[in-house]
Amino acid sequence: MMSSAVISGFVLGALAPWLTRAVGARVHWLLAVLPAALFAYFAQFLPVIAAGESVRVASEWVPGLDVALSFYLDGLSLIFALLITGIGTFIVLYTGGYLHGHQQLGRFFLYLLSFMGSMLGLVLADNVITLFVFWELTSITSFLLIGFNHTAPRSRRAALQALVVTGGGGLALLAGLLIMASVAGTSELSEILSNPEVLTSSALYVPMTILVLLGAFSKSAQFPLHFWLPNAMEAPTPVSAYLHSSTMVKAGVYLLARMSPGLGGTELWFYALVIFGAATMLVGGFLAMRQSDLKLVLAYTTVAALGTLTMLIGLGGEYAFKAMALFLITHAFYKGGLFMVAGSIDHGTGTRDALSLGGLARPMPATFAVAVLLGLSMAGIVPFVGFIAKEVMYEATLHIGATALILVTAAAVLGNAFNVVAAGIVGLRPFLSAHKPTPHHPHEAPPSMLIGPIVLAALGVICGVGFPLTSEFVAAPVMASLNGLPVAEQAAGLYLWHGIKPPLILSIVTLALGALGFAFWPQMRAGIAAILKAIGWGPDRGYDQAVSGLERLAYAATRVQQTGYLRHYLMATFVVVAAFMLATLFAVGGLPTQFRVPTVYLTEVIALALLIGGAVVATIVYSRVAAVAAIGVVGYAVALLFLVFSAPDLAFTQFMVETLTVVILVLVLMRVPLEVSAFRARAGRLRDAAIAIAVGASISLVLLTTVQGPLDLRLSEYFIENSVPLAHGHNIVNVILVDFRALDTLGEIFVVTIAGLSCFGLVRLALSRRKAARAQLQPAHRTAAAESPGGDA
Amino acid sequence: MTYDLATIAPELFLLVSAMALLMLGAFRQGNPTGLVLSLATVATVITFVLVWLQPTARELAFGGLFVRDGFGNFMKGLILVGSSVSLIMAWRFIERENMSRFEFPVLMLFATVGMMMMVSANDLISLYIGLELQSLSLYVIAAFRRDTLRSTESGLKYFVLGALSSGMLLYGSSLVYGFAGTTNFNTLAEILQQAAQAGEAPSIGLIVGVVFVMAGLAFKVGGVPFHMWTPDVYEGAPTPVTAFFASAPKIAAMALFARVLMGPFAELVAQWQQVVVAISLLSMVLGALAAISQTNIKRLMAYSSIGHVGYALIGLAAGTEAGVRGLAVYMAIYLFMNLGTFAVILCMRQKDRMVENIDDLRGLSRTHPLMALAMGIFMFSMAGIPPLAGFFSKLYVFLAAIEAQLYTLAVVGVLSSVVGAFYYLRIVKLMYFDEPAESFDQPFGREMSLIMGAAGAITLLFFVFPSPIVSGAEAAAASLLAAAG
Repeated sequence: MMSSAVISGFVLGALAPWLTRAVGARVHWLLAVLPAALFAYFAQFLPVIAAGESVRVASEWVPGLDVALSFYLDGLSLIFALLITGIGTFIVLYTGGYLHGHQQLGRFFLYLLSFMGSMLGLVLADNVITLFVFWELTSITSFLLIGFNHTAPRSRRAALQALVVTGGGGLALLAGLLIMASVAGTSELSEILSNPEVLTSSALYVPMTILVLLGAFSKSAQFPLHFWLPNAMEAPTPVSAYLHSSTMVKAGVYLLARMSPGLGGTELWFYALVIFGAATMLVGGFLAMRQSDLKLVLAYTTVAALGTLTMLIGLGGEYAFKAMALFLITHAFYKGGLFMVAGSIDHGTGTRDALSLGGLARPMPATFAVAVLLGLSMAGIVPFVGFIAKEVMYEATLHIGATALILVTAAAVLGNAFNVVAAGIVGLRPFLSAHKPTPHHPHEAPPSMLIGPIVLAALGVICGVGFPLTSEFVAAPVMASLNGLPVAEQAAGLYLWHGIKPPLILSIVTLALGALGFAFWPQMRAGIAAILKAIGWGPDRGYDQAVSGLERLAYAATRVQQTGYLRHYLMATFVVVAAFMLATLFAVGGLPTQFRVPTVYLTEVIALALLIGGAVVATIVYSRVAAVAAIGVVGYAVALLFLVFSAPDLAFTQFMVETLTVVILVLVLMRVPLEVSAFRARAGRLRDAAIAIAVGASISLVLLTTVQGPLDLRLSEYFIENSVPLAHGHNIVNVILVDFRALDTLGEIFVVTIAGLSCFGLVRLALSRRKAARAQLQPAHRTAAAESPGGDA
Repeated sequence: MTYDLATIAPELFLLVSAMALLMLGAFRQGNPTGLVLSLATVATVITFVLVWLQPTARELAFGGLFVRDGFGNFMKGLILVGSSVSLIMAWRFIERENMSRFEFPVLMLFATVGMMMMVSANDLISLYIGLELQSLSLYVIAAFRRDTLRSTESGLKYFVLGALSSGMLLYGSSLVYGFAGTTNFNTLAEILQQAAQAGEAPSIGLIVGVVFVMAGLAFKVGGVPFHMWTPDVYEGAPTPVTAFFASAPKIAAMALFARVLMGPFAELVAQWQQVVVAISLLSMVLGALAAISQTNIKRLMAYSSIGHVGYALIGLAAGTEAGVRGLAVYMAIYLFMNLGTFAVILCMRQKDRMVENIDDLRGLSRTHPLMALAMGIFMFSMAGIPPLAGFFSKLYVFLAAIEAQLYTLAVVGVLSSVVGAFYYLRIVKLMYFDEPAESFDQPFGREMSLIMGAAGAITLLFFVFPSPIVSGAEAAAASLLAAAG
């Protein structure tokens, strides 16, 4: 059943383009039935999970790899599943109004519903591979949705950037998950996490954790990888409301929360999450103040919120986990709602620039009411759930060790104050300040676009006032997932009124700071703009620099190793061979140790002198024919050596082959046009000499080391012993040729015969062509020359 | 002897078919190319069926020169798919591009026979003969368009570097023979095992010999630093030939690599593992990096193939059964993605001319939506993005590497696939988001659509039905390891 719940999104998505064509403009009411039904399906698990149980289903998937299609439902995944399906329902409805009459509405629904399925799969997956598959699917669907307006170059860039950052982080995550599964000996998360000691005591704990964090941080836009998220606002607003505030970007937070009982509790975990989380919270809030585009204000506060969640997971302990659970749902409610409000304003007026908006309360009363309610929850005012979340958060920061306490608490206050300002910018300013002219005459949003924000705003109140229920059904089960203890043991109590205690005082400070910031927002904007201009660099530019750096590196790599010249390829091959041999020598045998000069006879000296002389001449002469002849001398010298060491048959073969080679080479070279200028510069000659010497030296060293060891004489002894009894021959070489390896000899004869036949054929062809050419009385334009074979020998 | 002939029935059939087609081509009046090409395709298909029907039990033939086993059958099946699809892709191409000569399909068949011999080689001598039959045929095919400079140049480069590598392989083989006293794989394995049990260190001559053999094989698979020929040859050769080069010979060389290292030299794993790790690392990194700067799609595919070789070699570096299984799965999936991509490349024709620039794919989703979809699937899959087949092929080798505790290799592999993803995804962006370039000539031909469709379906739906490929690879790996153990 749970697998079908995940897959249903993809199935309906595939049908969506067709349904859109068939049903027409009201298709969103039909499509929204699926997420709503899924929401109902998951909602029925609430009492079960709150009672401390969990649900796991599994089926076979990839054989031999321990990859099962397994799903696991506990407090954390249930809350995520409810957010995904619940907000998904409203987003589908909202899209119907927002993209009313759009040409490619069907395609949009295809992407959107596929995304919903992927996201559900991600939060429900129990198997690490299954989790990763859905993780990357959310990146791909996000890519397609950001690039939906593909005529705009900015949205094309944003789409690719988001995919490179989140997809790349995903691959790091894969490495981390694989190592984790290999350390734990199973790839089911529920089993891996039930045994945290195995992970934390492993030698691979640090690389594994860093890789997982890299994945989570890139997906959840943690500083300094946050830049892709504001750029992703190029997507249509329903996408921003759904993927880039309430669901997909929380996948990283989900992963951190999921891993918390297994990887958490160490210093690395604490410092990495708290430092990056707090930095993200402050940077996000700070940059949000600089923006005037409503969507960008919300995008940067989303970055800040993701930082807050990361920080809370890192802090650990009962209060921080409770705060995380509450802030998770709070943020999803108000941020999803406010994005839809921003979209409605854009839709109703034609602009979403806060500076050119004002007085919308009168033409858009319903939107205004909803925006105020959502803004109050965001600012954290009694009795909204946002207030409770903020109180518990302060409780958590006040409960940590002495030194970090002040820093983290101050950061939290500042971060929340930024939130208050942002709530004012989006929730109040466009509606209340003096009326300004807008591109469209402002009009109220249609019902399909209002229903989502209304319900989300209402939930903000309901969860706040009904805090005992929030505690039982949200806080306790999520906390259980985070710390790995049973639900019943969670201290999940919540209070709307706590008495006048430090958290409340901090709340008042936050509000005061926020009000101050809102009042002086224009001045603050100017100040931040000046600071940013002074810095003049940001991670977004860093991304561009990294991409262009990569391209430059790629060009350099190509230029260096892919010149197109055969001689360079040959050079590289020889260098590598020499390096291989030297490396082998050092790795296994060491260098030769015995240098014994044997008694040398005059014949040997002559042969060697010829050999060396030939080689030297071949390298210094300017004529190719002379070089070929010199090489021939080398070959003859080798043959002489064979002769001296009593292998006349080998010597004879060598003489023949050498003669033929020289003749053929000269023949070919005479046909090839020779450019006299093709001589190398001095540096080139020196380089070639160095390579040649290196190869020769390494081969000599290898040979010296090799002959140092005892020669394996088994083979020679075998032939000596058996040549008379088995083959009745005394000349061992002859016996080998005609008896022991007779088949080889037969093969050689065969090859020579075929080569002879081919030569005959070619010569005849050349002759007949020449005859034909002469018959046509054409002058000596020898077509046969062009056809004559070069490499057939 | 008759029994031996039954063991090599598929090779024998293909070889005889090639000879018969050569005679047909030589003595038939008129231009017999179309007929020979069609018959050659049929011959590869029949050979495929024959391989399919072969028992998987291990069987030696011709005095231990030749071995037939599950591993060989699996790899031969892949090779034959590669050959037959490349032949089909050549049907229209050779007529259009004015290279309609009957020797072309015949040479393809000879090369295929060589590859099948390589896969089944159980002796350094038969290895060399198979390899050379393959290589010599391929040199000629690469330079088949003698009238174009690019084709002849690529053929010449391939020949010179190929001859050099064959020389290294031969030198290495002779060292091995000199120090071990045999060229037979089984005997070699036994000798090395006995030496290891007796606590003797392998002699340095033998190790140098193995290193030379590996250098030769690394050249044939196109692994860095023996990869230099690949981009030039891929770009210069006629496109169906490039498709062929990127599929069948790669698989054959990879299978041979695995058979040589996991069979006779299994005892020397400590020595060869470092070399394979080095080749694998360099190939992955360079393949990903250099691909970025390419503008020609065939050169891009060359670097892509270098990268894929690097990934497949991760499986071999692991030196375990799981590793060989990973390698087999990798090569199988690589084959389908690659053939599909080349089918798309072959359809890139404007005004009756082939175009090869990556930019020519701009806006393909609007001019040819289905073709763009297929190409998109191949690109996403090559980038290793789930749930497409390419992801699982990477997963299998990464897991094997982690089990063998080659963490660096796995992590570098993952990181270089990030870089790799960058250029594959750029093609997707080009096709889906950019303004359309000039539309391609229609019709593509039904066989092209069929190849694209089939390859796309296999790549896309692998995650639903993984077992045909995976269980085949599993049996193949088990049979290779059983022989070595």
